[in-house]
Parts: sequence; structure tokens; C-alpha cells
Amino acid sequence: MKSLLSIAVLGLLGASAHAGDYVNFLRQEQQDNGVVWDMPVEATGASNSALALEKGGALFQLWTIEQEASADYLLDQKLVGAYLPVAAITVTTLDPHGDTPRTRIDQPFTVEIDVSGLLTGGGFPLSASSVVLERHLATSPDEETSIDPSIAVSGTPASSAFIKQNGATVLRFSASALTAEDPTKAVGEEHFVVHAIAEDQVSQSQIASARLQVWPVASGTIKGINNGDELRFETPPVELLLNDLYPRSDSYLLLYKGTQVAGATGAVVKAYPVDRDTPDSNVLRVTELDSMITEDGTYTLALLSDTVYGRELLCDPVTFTVNRTMRVNAMQVSFSDSVEN
Amino acid sequence: MKFTLLLCALATCANAAQPVLVRVTPETLAKLQQRDPMIRLEKPAPGEAKVTRPGKQSIIKQSTILHDGRSWTLVPVSAVVFIPENLKTRVNVKPVGNLLPWNEFLGKNRSWITTNEVSFEQAAGSEALPVERTEFWAKQDKIVVATHNNGPISVRRVEKTQTLTQR
Repeated sequence: MKSLLSIAVLGLLGASAHAGDYVNFLRQEQQDNGVVWDMPVEATGASNSALALEKGGALFQLWTIEQEASADYLLDQKLVGAYLPVAAITVTTLDPHGDTPRTRIDQPFTVEIDVSGLLTGGGFPLSASSVVLERHLATSPDEETSIDPSIAVSGTPASSAFIKQNGATVLRFSASALTAEDPTKAVGEEHFVVHAIAEDQVSQSQIASARLQVWPVASGTIKGINNGDELRFETPPVELLLNDLYPRSDSYLLLYKGTQVAGATGAVVKAYPVDRDTPDSNVLRVTELDSMITEDGTYTLALLSDTVYGRELLCDPVTFTVNRTMRVNAMQVSFSDSVEN
Repeated sequence: MKFTLLLCALATCANAAQPVLVRVTPETLAKLQQRDPMIRLEKPAPGEAKVTRPGKQSIIKQSTILHDGRSWTLVPVSAVVFIPENLKTRVNVKPVGNLLPWNEFLGKNRSWITTNEVSFEQAAGSEALPVERTEFWAKQDKIVVATHNNGPISVRRVEKTQTLTQR
């Protein structure tokens, strides 16, 4: 069977295939005879493949090459064939921002796999009646290191399963499965891949894929003042250690009168917004505290972060007392009496 | 004045009493991670699902590089179907300068690159390229790149079969 394929070219890097630092290539490899064709591409839009789709199908790969380092990255790939099932994966998270779906290690997300072209009813070979869903976990050493998607999905998957029905299969995950020494600090990517089950030799059997960016849970420390401290004069110098603040979050050091944080209203001592799409860490000096404490009493400092997931404590609150009233204990002695005697 | 108003608005928003969540603990996270929805799907037995995963790939390593000293591009291996002797130094050397998409690179270098549009059957090797055309390549003193709908394409060359005469 011969047919033309309409393939969408993903717009990732600008207004043309040649967008400043990156150049894109869309390559098609025929599985039956090995013919390789570079499709002229724009960065966005759709185009018909000029090659016929033969029985073994064709592998489409979207590449980008970074100018400066001449480094190439495989952005996406898909095996398409006249007799192959078709699949699409959609990942949905609670975070509406970012080009790639992103979440935090402890937050839920949903993966929907839509499959068509499977033969159902029994008696059909596995290759015609099933596809394989794989979940790959790619832990990153830090928040700056990017992961090569082709490497991320090349190893043994963390888990795999058959999908044997056409239509939508919806999987609701309670949290990412990435691991780290401190599990709350795991960072990396989850990749979901659907493979056709190959009867013949193909260079790759991937028919759909989707990526999920996973960021760690933020944490913090209030340094310079401890729980139970009694302050009599000036407040000591305070430092805030902020780690892995979530993208587009706002973090605050709040001062509460008394010991309660939940349900109470605090005054902002320091604010730190993160206006970027990767986590941020920083150390802040706090000099405003002294001027905000004008009367004696018990106070609580809380380091909080507002994210799309709500308002959270970055560390345990610190409660301390201030007592600046000077008491003079003295005894009055009358000198005049002794002179008279 | 505007700045002060902004600060006041920020402070009001930030310090308003709202639910404060406690940071997740490793133990709680471990419990969340145990709830894996994939367990309700049928797992393949070892070796049952024949899939082919990609390994480390590089389009640069899987291509032929063309360069003019200032810029370069890449085409599929076997897309360059003819290289005159004096232009061999412009093929498959370490890329330097600006990388350009194929069409832009061709537009700048038409003085020494030309294209030969081929059919899919010719690219696949199921149909031979016309001899008069391949003979003409040598007369142009240009590198010839096979294209299909203006995109460079690999060509499997068909060796001319010799006619054997049985005695």
C-alpha cells in the first residue's frame, strides 16, 4: 500500500528551520529499503512526506543541531506505517506553565495513551493486536544538565505493559517514580513510549513518545536565630538558605506575632520571586527584622513558598521572644537622716 | 508611588492567612510512589514483546558533510552521487563555521554544487539512473547531490549486470 503521510513539524526553536543558534532537520528513513530523505522543513507547520509509505513503514526523526558546539539532539521520533497501529500520548500535570509538561516529584500527573489501528476480537498475532507502553526514568545529576531523549529511552524501561484496546487508556500517577538519596530532591525526566511490536526487522519500533520534566521539592533554612531564643537587644544577623525553589514561585519570610502560623496573618520580612522556568537556589541576608519588632513579646518566623501546588513551609518555623524593657532594681537610701544624727 | 502600591499589594497578598502545607517527607513520598497505575495493565513475559529501542544516535555521524570554508550543511549518506577530484576537500571534513539548512547552503554554493532530482524507485535502487545523466555529471565539474522534492535523498546505486553468454 502506498499513501502519503501528513506529518506535523514541531515548532521549537523559532520562525524558520534556521533559527539563530539551532538548525532543524527532519529525516525520514524507509524501513524496507533503507532510503534516507531529508525533508525540507520550516520550524512550524505541516507538510506531506514525498515518499511512499511501504509495508515496513518509515521512521521520522526531528533533529536539531546547536551551532556553536556542533552538537546534535534528537527531539522526537516516530515509526509510521500503513499497517502499523497509531498512538498518541498526552501528559497532563497541575502546572500549566512550560513548553514541556512539568511537575514536582511529589505531585500527581496523568498520562493518556490514545491508540488506533489495533485488530481486536481474538486470534490475531500480538503485533496486530497489541502495542507496548514503556515508562523510562532518567535521573539528572542536577537541574542544569539536559538529558538526551534518545539515551533516556534506549535502556531497559522501569516498567512496561501491553495495551490491547483501541481508544484512550488513562493512567493517573500519584507522584513521579524518580529516586535520589533524598527522594524529595529527585530531579530528571520521565519518558513514556509506545512501541509497535515488530514482526520484521526495523531500526526502531517507537510510534509515540512523551516527556515529563520533574523538579525537586524546595527546602530552606533560617540561619542566625534559633527556636527558643530570647532576644534582649538587636536581633542577630539572619540568613535564608533557599534551595530548589520551584519555577515561577514566590517565597517569603513571614513574621507572626505569637506562635501560630496556620490560620494567622504574618508580615512580610523578605520576598523572593522566581521568574524563570527552572528551579532557583540562593542565599539572602535579612536586615529588615529589627525594624519590624517594635514591642516585646513572642514571635515566629516562617519561611514559605507559594507555588502552583499551594503555600508550603520550606523548614520548621522559628519561635523566639523579645524582651527589651529595662528594669532597674534599686533601693532608696536617704542620706539626710544620717547627717542629722 | 506606583512602586509603593505594588509593594503594599504584594504584602497583602503574601501575608494573608491561607492554608499552609507541610513539606512532603520521604516516607510520604515513598507511599505515593507505590501507587503505580501501570500494574493494572498486562505485563509482557520476558522476550514476548519484540521492540527495538534507539541507541545513541547522531545525525552528524549518519550524514555526509559539505562545506565551503565558511559554512556547512549535511545530507544523508549516499546522497552525494558525484564528486569531482578537485572538490573532494569540500566533502566529509570536520564541520567549521555556520551550519545552514540544505536549501540555504545550496543557494550560496550553486557554483560548485548541483542537484539531480531522482524518483523514489531510483533512490531505492529498483530502477537505474539514466546512463546519459550520470555521464553528464562528470562534464559539469560540480558536486552532484541527489534530491527528491528538493530534499537530499540517499541513492542505492544499481550495478549494471553483465550479460553472460553461455557457450
